[in-house]
Amino acid sequence: MADKTPEDILEDARKFIGIESQTVASRYAVEYDPIRRYCHMVDDDNPLFLDPEYAATTEFGSVVAPPFFIRQTAGPGPWPPRTEEVPGVLAQVPSPGDRTINLNTEFECYKPIKVGDRISHKQRLVDIYIKAIRLDPKSFWTVYDTIYTNQDGEVVLVMRNTLCRHRTPEEVKAAGDAPETSSS
Amino acid sequence: MDETMTTEAKREQRYWDDVNEGDEVPGFERPVTPTQIALQVSGSQDFYEVHHDQEFARAGGHPDIFVNTGFTTACFGRLLSSFVGEAGWVKKFHMEMRRMNHPGDVMKLTGKVIRKYTEGDEHLLELEIWSENERIGVTTPSTATVLLPSRRQATS
Amino acid sequence: MATNTPEEMLQEARKLIGWETEPVPSRYPVEYDPIRRYCHMVGDDNPLFMDPEHAANARYGSVIAPPFFIRQTSGPGPWPPRSQEIPTASGRVLSPGDRNIVLNTEFELLKPVKVGDRISQTQRLVDVYIKPIRLDPKTFWLVNETIFRNQDDEVVATMRNTMVRHRTPEQVKAAGDAEA
Repeated sequence: MADKTPEDILEDARKFIGIESQTVASRYAVEYDPIRRYCHMVDDDNPLFLDPEYAATTEFGSVVAPPFFIRQTAGPGPWPPRTEEVPGVLAQVPSPGDRTINLNTEFECYKPIKVGDRISHKQRLVDIYIKAIRLDPKSFWTVYDTIYTNQDGEVVLVMRNTLCRHRTPEEVKAAGDAPETSSS
Repeated sequence: MDETMTTEAKREQRYWDDVNEGDEVPGFERPVTPTQIALQVSGSQDFYEVHHDQEFARAGGHPDIFVNTGFTTACFGRLLSSFVGEAGWVKKFHMEMRRMNHPGDVMKLTGKVIRKYTEGDEHLLELEIWSENERIGVTTPSTATVLLPSRRQATS
Repeated sequence: MATNTPEEMLQEARKLIGWETEPVPSRYPVEYDPIRRYCHMVGDDNPLFMDPEHAANARYGSVIAPPFFIRQTSGPGPWPPRSQEIPTASGRVLSPGDRNIVLNTEFELLKPVKVGDRISQTQRLVDVYIKPIRLDPKTFWLVNETIFRNQDDEVVATMRNTMVRHRTPEQVKAAGDAEA
């Protein structure tokens, strides 16, 4: 195929740096049960996250979400299928491969998130560059921010993620980009 | 990823008057894939290992993990609620988990109307519904009593 | 081991027939997200169960739970661990095996369950008997009934379950109960 080289694609991709997606509202308010499932996943039995009666006696006054929980719950969620596609920044940024591995994640937490909060988020592409991984010598490393706001428009949390997008071994081979076999 | 989004795409209300004994209850398929097993645990919150841990299932004498009652019930719930629509109601349901569905099986849910009758001012149907797979045939014979709106009531 | 025989255990178990638990409240009200996950499990995209705007203009005025959903959501749920054991009728039945398979399930649905409802449940042991299955000639069959009530003390649904409780092949062998 006379397709663009990874370097050409990178040039196109870098044009998205600094661009922000539109704001996406969550389908539902923050609820008890998803917090409970999140805690269950890691054996966390902290009553601040799980017990409304206990939480009422704390300075928060009600159940709050565990740190980083918001990442799982904000946005339209995995179901039902959306009738209209919400354009995320990442979906617009081209890359040779479409397999992703999440690498670095950073959070800055500003406000507690409580049951009943309505969280929206938007994304911003921060950086994108090529760096080899074992599977693909032309992997695209993509750094982006997600900014979460509550129903009062307050920024409650910012997440910075570094995502590696790579091709399958077959795609790498087809493109003639053999991964380095000798140790570098 | 999902193959089943078609049947309910159009949600026209079904009326009792237009249904006949012998009519098919439109169904759908669910392949028992690893993703389906993950959805089963998420959706049913059933963490009994026999439904997701192959080694545990085998130690109990089973050839493999098998899908749980919560998931199977939910499949029939979808079948029935799609059939009755928003103006109908699922009154009674009976399900027999006679044979198991294992990874690799494709569960096909369908059914037919076996009785059409009224009771007081309720317009009712009795349905025979089941889940089947290619390996066994019918695994989960079930019945349901559902209420549909009648055109006569709708216009009176 | 000089433990009780399956028949002796059955005799004890049958004394529990008719015994009903205290109502066990759900930890949380019925919420949108567990309904969404339940629908996702079976590929159901019915807006009556998931779309508050659609449901507001539909028959019930708000999102309702799909049929049979209540089984998953009521009670204390799988997490966090309970500080005290919740009594269940079937949990009090001592049996030789502890491997469960649910067989028949029956529901009667009486009222819609809405987001925000607070559901409690009581359980009753209806029957228990021994009947062989392929895996275990001394399998215990338990019939349970669960009654679900909402915050207004209305019965919204009843469920009757038939469950077998069997031993692993190893336990059957160790007990000298060759397969029937």
